Amino acid sequence: MMYEIDLAVIGGGPAGLMAANTAAEAGAKVLLLERDGHLGGQLVKQTHKFFGSEEQHASMRGNDISTMLGDRLGSFGERVTVWKSATVIGFYEDGVITIDHNGIYKKVKPMRVVVATGASEKFLSFPNNDLPGIYGAGAVQTMMNVYGIRPGQRVLMIGAGNIGLIVSYQLLQAGVSVAAIVEGLPHIGGYAVHASKVRRAGVPILTSHTIVRADGAESVESATIAEIDRGWNVIQRTMKTIACDVICISVGLTPLAELLWQAGCKMRYIPSLGGSVPLRNDCLETTVKGVFIAGDVSGIEEASAAMVEGRLAGLEAAASLGFKSERYCEERNDCMEQLAALRSGPTAEKIRSGLACAECR
Amino acid sequence: MGDRRITNHPILQFSEGEIIHFTFDGKPMEGREGDTIASALHANGVKVLGYHFMTKRPRGFYCAIGNCSSCLMIVNGKSNVRTCTAPLKSGMIVETQYDRGVPDDV
Amino acid sequence: MLINTGIATQELIKKLIPSPERRARGPYAMVECFQEIPCNPCSTSCPFGAILPMKDINDIPTIDLDRCTGCGICAGVCPGLAIFIIDESKGDGTATVTIPYEFRPLPEKGETVRAVNRQGNIIGDGVVTRILASKKTKTPLITVQIPAELVYEVRFLNLIDDKSNSEEPSSTYQSVVTDDLSSKVLDTVEIDDTAGTENDEDEIIICRCEGLTLGVIRDLIREGYTTVDEIKRISRAGMGPCQARTCGPLIASEIARMTGQPIAEIQPSAHRPPVKPLPIEFFLGGDSE
Repeated sequence: MMYEIDLAVIGGGPAGLMAANTAAEAGAKVLLLERDGHLGGQLVKQTHKFFGSEEQHASMRGNDISTMLGDRLGSFGERVTVWKSATVIGFYEDGVITIDHNGIYKKVKPMRVVVATGASEKFLSFPNNDLPGIYGAGAVQTMMNVYGIRPGQRVLMIGAGNIGLIVSYQLLQAGVSVAAIVEGLPHIGGYAVHASKVRRAGVPILTSHTIVRADGAESVESATIAEIDRGWNVIQRTMKTIACDVICISVGLTPLAELLWQAGCKMRYIPSLGGSVPLRNDCLETTVKGVFIAGDVSGIEEASAAMVEGRLAGLEAAASLGFKSERYCEERNDCMEQLAALRSGPTAEKIRSGLACAECR
Repeated sequence: MGDRRITNHPILQFSEGEIIHFTFDGKPMEGREGDTIASALHANGVKVLGYHFMTKRPRGFYCAIGNCSSCLMIVNGKSNVRTCTAPLKSGMIVETQYDRGVPDDV
Repeated sequence: MLINTGIATQELIKKLIPSPERRARGPYAMVECFQEIPCNPCSTSCPFGAILPMKDINDIPTIDLDRCTGCGICAGVCPGLAIFIIDESKGDGTATVTIPYEFRPLPEKGETVRAVNRQGNIIGDGVVTRILASKKTKTPLITVQIPAELVYEVRFLNLIDDKSNSEEPSSTYQSVVTDDLSSKVLDTVEIDDTAGTENDEDEIIICRCEGLTLGVIRDLIREGYTTVDEIKRISRAGMGPCQARTCGPLIASEIARMTGQPIAEIQPSAHRPPVKPLPIEFFLGGDSE
């Protein structure tokens, strides 16, 4: 059978949760589809206090924000249906989406869709990069913060962006030592305050360094790192081998946009947004009418921006179906202002220039 | 090996879920309620989940959220189970996978 | 530089030090936030309006030390853990610094701890005089009494590693790192790095699912397979269980590097349903609800 619904939201992370909440509040019937057995996406692993302002729940920890948004969804009663353990496996040109819901094949034809599928982690090529013990930063967070299991005893972190810095800090909190944080750029990519937190706890941050290889019989036993020049060439006689049982790769995220490709959305490769992203208008609607985007799938940013985008996409998707409260204009302006503020600083310069390339009319 | 489970965390509280018994390559092991197969194995110090069918190189999970499919194992005789997302259940027979996997009922 | 090391320079710190009169008068907040990032809880949480309202959420916090009472509310909410409360008013050669400390186990009141600087080095001892553990922020604030001359240096603490009755390893990193990162510090060994790297590189696994190396991919590109889809069809790269999520971007960037095309112009392989491999019986089953 084919389910019909006003709005399907694909992904129950920060963006999807906000989209579902906002659209339901406006009066739309919403189906929220989440691949995992629980809502929250990457929020549940974020044990640090969020940046931003009160509107984006700054100072709250990601895992608490996730619980709060999930609870709010429950307040809409039958207007909101949540399918957990539901992976959207196909998005067809006639607007039908197909789903693996707990092993059962389902088809849904929604009037509108918000795609909030997030991102996947980039991988790095170096000899023995496939050894067990080499994990993505998200995997390390999942082990520690979802299952409560230490990923190892001594970790070498690759990447000093915000995720690399935050996960290093979380490793220390879990009682795991961090041998060093290795960063290819000549400067730390993440916020200075995150860097200072791990630095004073004794973790060296090695900028202009790269991983040369990993070694170990059955799993990681050591990693070799080296200094690099501006052209990313290894400088001779700077190689060092570090004993570690985990190498954590945190070299960035790329939008998980395969459903948008399938739907026929016009895409553009924009490096500063993490890879191929859909073109969108100021309502976050893609070139395929009725398909909206929010969060990392629209370009890699912080979770605070993902939440505001989710709210905007939910608002616009509902409004395009006629669910428009008298506060619609006010809410829309509020979203726009919050996004502009979050993206206004020097740390968001790359995001601003990337987004300028992703606009369409 | 030592227990890899975190019992005292500054932010999070991990409830001590019920113990779940399973076997890995014939060895009896314990996991906790809420574990996936891969997380329970990791807590027991098992990082190698399989070997590549062609290169014979050891395989462990990379993403732990069902994207990379590097964690495929044989569970209760069924090949290619994504152990990083499959919940652990009592009495499971978990085995290292060495090949591409064979269809069951063959 | 702060953005190279994560350590605030003396120059930056000096700018935050108040007048001698203010220092003698009582506790105050030192907001060690030097980068314009979108964050404002310090200013919105201050009950005295001492951290001035921000025009732009990216503004660097400005503090009015006449209004600041050193209450520590901002230190508890700051997501960057960048605010410390300094009290030099005792005038007996000691001072206190209050540190946001999100580790376990917590020290106890009266306990002697190692005083650690911004570099992670132990520079003296301190005595814990107060522990403020807020359930709301989950960021305990630990006040440590230290020699007054160290009050602009001490920003972290290590427990003295002798509470071995607890089975849990201390969650603080055992600080052995000095500022110049000598090989001894990193627990490293020098190795011969003159060995060839090109051969090593060819052995790198690019497609984990199908077991294909960078050498294989490079040979294919040299033979003229210069799109991700062509390489997929000839080699199966990206056709395994992960559906190119891991190898796709790596193959695209290798094509770009070898052919000189901009990476933006390299098309990813075609995306078709289903996004993950599923047994045929799944599709036959369907939904009979």
